Order: sequence, then C-alpha cells, then structure tokens
Amino acid sequence: ACGSESAGTDGETTYDWRFATEEEPGQVQYEYAKEFADLIHEKSDGQINIDVYGFGELPGSEVDQVEQLQDGLLEFAIVSPGFTGGMVAEGQVFALQFLFPDDQEKTQEILNTSEALNTQLAGMYEAHDIKPLAFFTEGAMQWTGNRELRTPEDFRGFKMRTQESPLIMESYRAYGADPSPLSWSELYTSLDRGVVDGQENPIFFIEDASFHEVQDHMTISNHNNYVAMTTVNPTFYNELPEDVRALIDETVEEMQPRVFEMQKEMNESYLDLIKNDTDNPTEVIELTEEEREAFRELAVPIRDFFRDEVVGDEGREMLELLEQEIAAHE
Amino acid sequence: MIATMLIVMIVLLVMGFPMMVPMMAASIVLLFFLPNVNSMFVVQQMMEGISSYVLLAVPLFIFAADIMSTGKTSQRLLDFVGAFIGHLRGGYAITTAAACTLFGSISGSTQATVVAIGTPMRKRLLSVGYKDSSAIALIINASDIALLIPPSIGMIIYGLAAPSVSVGDLFIAGIGPGLLIFFMFAIYSYIHAKIYNIPLAEKYSWKKRRQVTVKALLPLGFPVIIVGGIYFGIFSPTEAAGISVLYALILELVIFRTIKLPDIPRIALSTGLVTSAVFILVAAGQAFSWLISYARIPRALTESVLGTDPTALQVLIIVAIFFFIGCMFIDPIVVILILTPIFYPVAIAAGVDPIHLGVVIVFQAALGSATPPFGVDIFTASAVFNKSYLDVIKGTPPYIIMLLIASVLIILFEEISLFLL
Amino acid sequence: MNVLRTIDRWLVKIEEHILSYSIILIAIMVVGNVLSRAITGSSWAFSQEVSRFAITVATFMGISYAARKGRHISMSAFYDLAPFPIRKALAIFIPVITAIVLFIMSIFAYQYFMSLVSSGRVTTAMQVPAYLFAVFVPIGFVLGGIQFLRNMWVNIREKEVYLAQDKKDYS
Ligand code: NA
Ligand code: NA
Repeated sequence: ACGSESAGTDGETTYDWRFATEEEPGQVQYEYAKEFADLIHEKSDGQINIDVYGFGELPGSEVDQVEQLQDGLLEFAIVSPGFTGGMVAEGQVFALQFLFPDDQEKTQEILNTSEALNTQLAGMYEAHDIKPLAFFTEGAMQWTGNRELRTPEDFRGFKMRTQESPLIMESYRAYGADPSPLSWSELYTSLDRGVVDGQENPIFFIEDASFHEVQDHMTISNHNNYVAMTTVNPTFYNELPEDVRALIDETVEEMQPRVFEMQKEMNESYLDLIKNDTDNPTEVIELTEEEREAFRELAVPIRDFFRDEVVGDEGREMLELLEQEIAAHE
Repeated sequence: MIATMLIVMIVLLVMGFPMMVPMMAASIVLLFFLPNVNSMFVVQQMMEGISSYVLLAVPLFIFAADIMSTGKTSQRLLDFVGAFIGHLRGGYAITTAAACTLFGSISGSTQATVVAIGTPMRKRLLSVGYKDSSAIALIINASDIALLIPPSIGMIIYGLAAPSVSVGDLFIAGIGPGLLIFFMFAIYSYIHAKIYNIPLAEKYSWKKRRQVTVKALLPLGFPVIIVGGIYFGIFSPTEAAGISVLYALILELVIFRTIKLPDIPRIALSTGLVTSAVFILVAAGQAFSWLISYARIPRALTESVLGTDPTALQVLIIVAIFFFIGCMFIDPIVVILILTPIFYPVAIAAGVDPIHLGVVIVFQAALGSATPPFGVDIFTASAVFNKSYLDVIKGTPPYIIMLLIASVLIILFEEISLFLL
Repeated sequence: MNVLRTIDRWLVKIEEHILSYSIILIAIMVVGNVLSRAITGSSWAFSQEVSRFAITVATFMGISYAARKGRHISMSAFYDLAPFPIRKALAIFIPVITAIVLFIMSIFAYQYFMSLVSSGRVTTAMQVPAYLFAVFVPIGFVLGGIQFLRNMWVNIREKEVYLAQDKKDYS
C-alpha cells in the first residue's frame, strides 16, 4: 500500500504524500519540491497534501532515500542519477563531460524531449521501481581551485575532489589531475587546508556551501550539467485514479520551465555574490571556446570508457541515440 | 504513539537493559504505529548511521589511546605534569585535572581518560591523604574535559548530526571552554587542599624536571600533531586520528619498545570491543531518529516547546535543558545524534552560531553524564574503580556547581568558544 | 556437549579476530590513503568503502562478543542498588528480552539483505555488490541473541549474579 488515503469530511478522498529531496531550503531541488507541493495542493482544492523533506530532515543518505522510494515509503523524490549509478549504471551518462550543448536552454530542451532519456533511460529506472517523470538541469558545473584552471596543463598534479565514481575519476585523470574521492562532510575543511586543491559543482551549490570562501579561483567551465530527476514510485503512481495522475503529469510539465528559471536566477545571483564578496576574493574566469575545445578533446574518449566499462548493449544504444539527438540540436 | 514509545524506553532504561535495547524496542513500537513502513528500513538506517567517514575518527583515536596506555606514553605525561605542579598546594589534584586535559587532547574519549589517568592518579591522591570520594569525583569530572578538548568525540558526533559544520572548527572551539573548566577545577583544588590541610609534596629539582621533560617530549608531540595538523590543514580530523595511531605505534613500538608487533592485535581487540559497544548505539540511535522524523514528531515537538518564533537565548536554554536531562539517562553520543537534528534548524533560524550551538550541546552532554542521579560517567567510574554507585557520587556536588556556572557562562558569552576561530 | 564447547571456542576466536582486524584494517586504510596522497599524489579510491565495510562488520559482529564480556553500555543505577533477589530476577529477565529484540532485528536485517540482493546494486568505488556490506548484520544479530540467551542460562544455572557469561557481578 502506497501513500495514505482517507475519506474527507465531504466524502471526497484526501491524500497525504511525502516528497524527499537531496537539498536544503533555498537550493534548487527543495524549492522545486515546495512549489510542486503548493501547486498540487491548490489545484486539488486542498485534497492533496505533500510534505516536503529537505536533506537531513529525514536522516539518511541519498541512496537510502532512493531505496525508500522504491519501497513506496516515499511517494516522490528528486534523485540525482549520480547516486543511483550502482543500480542503473546508464544513469552515469550525465557524468560525461562536454556531452550536452553549451547552451543551457538547448540542453534543457533535449532533457525534455529526448527519447533516449525519457523512454530508454526512464524504462531502465522503472525496471528498478523508480519512475522518472522529468529530467531537469540545476545548472552547469563549474570548477573551483586554489589555482587558476584554464588549460589541461593546469590540472597536472591537481588534487581534484570527486565523487567515488570510477567514471568521474577517469574523466579527471584524462585532464592529468589526481582525482581524490572525499566525503562531503570533510570537503570544506579539506579545501580550506589544502588537503585537496579543487572541486566541481553548480554555482548555487558552491556559494551555499561557502566553497568560494576557501578557494581563490573559479572557472566558468560549463563542462557538464548537474541533472536531476523528478521521480515517483511506479506502483503508487499506477494505482492512482486517472484524474489525479493527470494532475501530477500536468504539474510536472508546468514545473519544467519554472525550475529552469529558478536555477538560472539562483545561479546568476549567486555568481554575483561570489564576485562581490570582497572579504573572500575569488578570481572568476570564463573559458573561451578554444579553451573549452582543449578539454573537450580529452573528454570525448571517456565516452569509450562509459561504453566499455560502465554499461552494456542497452546503454551503448542509449548513448548513440542521445548523441544523435544532441547533434540534431546543434 | 509518543507516550507508548517513551514509556517503553524509560522502563527498559531504568531496569538496566543494555542501552541499545530501549532504542531498538522503541523503534519496534513505532513500527506498529507506522504500518506502511517496511521494517527493513530500520536496518538500512542502522547501517547508514555508522557509515560516515568522519565517524571513523572515533575508533582510531581510541586505538591510539589504547596503544599509549599499554605503553609508556600516559605515564610519562603524568610524570611531566607532576614534576612542575605536583608540589603546589592541591598539587596532585591539579595534576590530575591537567593530566586529564592533556590526555583528553589525545584520546577524545572520556572513558579512555578515566582508565588511563584515573587509575594511577587515584592511588597517588589516596597516598597523600585525599578522601576516596573526592578523588573519584575529581577524576570523573576532570575526565569530562576530554569531551571538550580536541579531538573530541562529542564534537565529531555533533558535526555528523549538523551537516554544514566543520569538525575542525568545532575542535578549535572546544579549547576555550575546556580550559575554563580546567582553571575552575584547579582553583577549587587549591582551596580544597587548604581547607583539608593536605600535606605538600616534595618539589622536583630542575635537574629532575629536565629529565622528565625530555622523556615527555615525544608524547607531547600528540596534541601538537593533532591540533596543529588540523588547524594548519595538513589533514582532516579523520586523517588526524589515523596519524595519531601511526605516531603512537612509532613511539611505543620503535622508540620506547614497550610493545611488540604481536601485541597489536590484542590492543586492537580491546579497541574493537569499545568501538562496537559505542557504534551499536550510534546505529540504533540513527534508526530511531529516522523513524521519529518519518512520523513527523520533531516538528511537532519543537513547535510545542518553543513556539514559532523563539529568540536565540530561549533556544539555547531549552537546548541546554533537553541535553542535560537526556544525558542523565542515555549515552551522550546517542543524545547528540537524536536531539541535534531536532533543534538545529530552529536554533539556526533564531540566529545561533552553529559552532557555538555545538559547544553548548557537547558541554551539556558532558555535564549531564557526570551528574547524579543518572549519568554514564558515574557508571563507568563505578565499574573501573569497583565502587558502589553511592560512593562514586558522594563527592560530586562542588563540581556540579562549578560546571553549572561554566554552563551559564558558555551560553551567555559565545566568545569563550569562538575567540580562536 | 564437547562438540558445542569446541564450536564455542572457535566462535570466540573468530569474533576476536574479526573485531581486532577490522580496527587494524581501518587504520591501514586511513593512514595509507594519507601517505599515498602525500607521497605519490594519488588517493586510494577504495579507502572509504573498505573502512565502511570494516566498521559495519565490527559493529554487528561485536554485539555477541560485547555481550559475552558484559561490555554493552547500560544505565545500571537501579540494578546496582536493588537487593539480591531482584537483581537475580533481572539478570535472567533482561537477557531474555534482549535476545528477543535482537532476533526481531535479525529478521529485519535479513529482509534488508534480501532486498539488496534482489536490487543488484553495486558500490560506487569498488563496484562490488552492496549486499556484501549487509550480510554480517543478520548474522551479528543472531549470534548476539544467542549469546544473551547464554547469559541468561548462566544465571539460571549458577547461584551468583552474572552480568555476562564471562563477568560476575562485582558487588
Ligand atoms: Na575565495
Ligand atoms: Na578530547
């Protein structure tokens, strides 16, 4: 049995759902979930209540949340494919650098319409009891470092904090860096004290975690996008009355342009905050097209690592289709 | 639901069940009230609770302390402190407090400090005429300084429960309050010795002092390496713990040659035993904490206790009371793990500095666990010294008064914690 | 009975080795990672996962060893002050209930283990099945439960109060 359902005073059914996110209030995922919950509440004339959990409000890791969604304990969750790479290896496609177009709007358009993602990849997740309803970007990924990162040369001997994922580590090895997997909880201090030299994240995350306070340089590299999925437990979803399902679908669709605006505003205003923080000056540079090309050349061969070491036939087909779809947009 | 759960917990606790049982039993009770929750998630959360990398500092610091109390390090530290202040009025008592502070700066653990310093110092205190009750009271309360002085296990646990706080900063913030209590205890020891006319010990010659100092130089490297290493960024707190194991091994195995390679598994076994007894509590605490969050209890609790818009001081006072009471019954680690996520968001919203909050919480935890009627330190001491419960608590009132005063000061003046940052 | 005693002796040895070498393994992983990063510039990708594995094994396999040695943390004020007959009764009652709770937890742990087996999830760094981390949890709970039953049996058989199989009450 998924979700709690009860008869309201006027005989109408009311619903009480839980929506978990991987981020805190003020960050993209949480604000998305909150607005989604409010919209649904309003549209259903108060019959649907969704409780949004910021990260840490429900103790446990991102992977724990996914397992709870699979079991139907959580009805909704926003999930980063990166955290499910051990289950759906194909989801690691979002860790490939310089895959999506440079233009953010084009990228979001592909996320909205891609068959490779919305049909093929979504199907792989559904086989694991996770139903992705939408993919969205939380912003482009940027580099911060204790030195300027402009060319692959600058990455030589650079201790880059990454997730534990072999694919991401391989990507930075290709630039000549020493990838250092480090737990999130030790990252700020480790950057401060120079245990590691740099890290990657979207701008709003960098500012929110105050990494710019302990890093002297930031490179607007747009080397990748932080992609997240709005997911629902499929059994719960399929057992809902048709009109409720339609309401959810409609709201998910409405949220796509909203969350794009939300992340755009957030990333832009946080970039200003970083630039204007005179107490903790951070040199911000933007890579030119030529400079990005130098990285792209080293990043493209990593797709072979993805094809050969990470996924099987299904994943290779998916990447091929996705590459075609991206090419069609450029 | 809340009432049933609390009654089960308290009854089992008071009966003297192993502390993991009340937590697990309360979780099982909650599962009855949450029929849609698959019970396997209790175990998912237990495993999650102990999987944080930061938490690994706990067994490593205990391991380092175990290696040192097997070898010569703790004895040399004692001799060093005693050589300089042993002859003062109340000298042995002050030496005890200072040695507990120093050893706390290596081990991070109250229990390890009670064993390593308490056992030899109690003998000396008795030999110069202290009453056993005052000796024991001093030892258990001074060992609590170990919870504040870096590396502090209490701070590590708080850093774990409060996600965006740096454990390194917490360590540094504990130094001020730790020293404050040490000075209070030292002054009290002086007055106490004067009133009871405790005879003065012989003063060390400068030659003897130099010998003792030379012997203590390498052991004194510990606080330098740990605090300095974290402060200047050579390594993270967990790594500092690993390095202190390495350093302890180099000292005892290679330089002092007090232990041999085959001794290491035996020492590691005693560390493993303490670790598993503590970590099963951390695991059960996480599961319980997850269940009450899923049942939406924390939001209801903070709103009913604090209203919707409390001031920073109101929050700190309520936090202090809850932690003080919690730690009278339950191990401080578990209390910090369960209560921090409940109060942290409210406190931050009210403008409390997260580092200051951590110091207040860890201090209250230390205070609560040394305070009768119930307190885990009291039971540790009663087991270590083979003394009845009443014998252990007889001498504690003066210390409790001092700790309460310190508690008020630390809550009111955040500078005591934050000045080094 | 002799067979049982031999099995018991082996079990203690195994538990002791697991506890002791888990701690040593954690120390090697953490120190090795620091030294490797300092000397060669590259970190050990497996360091965190191996440590996590070791601490999980030590925690859950330690339940029964700590029970045997009477080292589980408890709040014993009332127990210590209670007169002999009550203490004797508690020394039988507490281990029984504890064993039941641990057996219930072992069922939960088995369910979680099976769900990891069927999900096929692998770990991020070493790409090994996630259920390998969970396999010791149900085993640890069952062994712990059995040990508490033995703590109870010692108190039924003997006249004195035993806090644990290997630990007589000190008062
Ligand atoms: Na900066
Ligand atoms: Na300490």
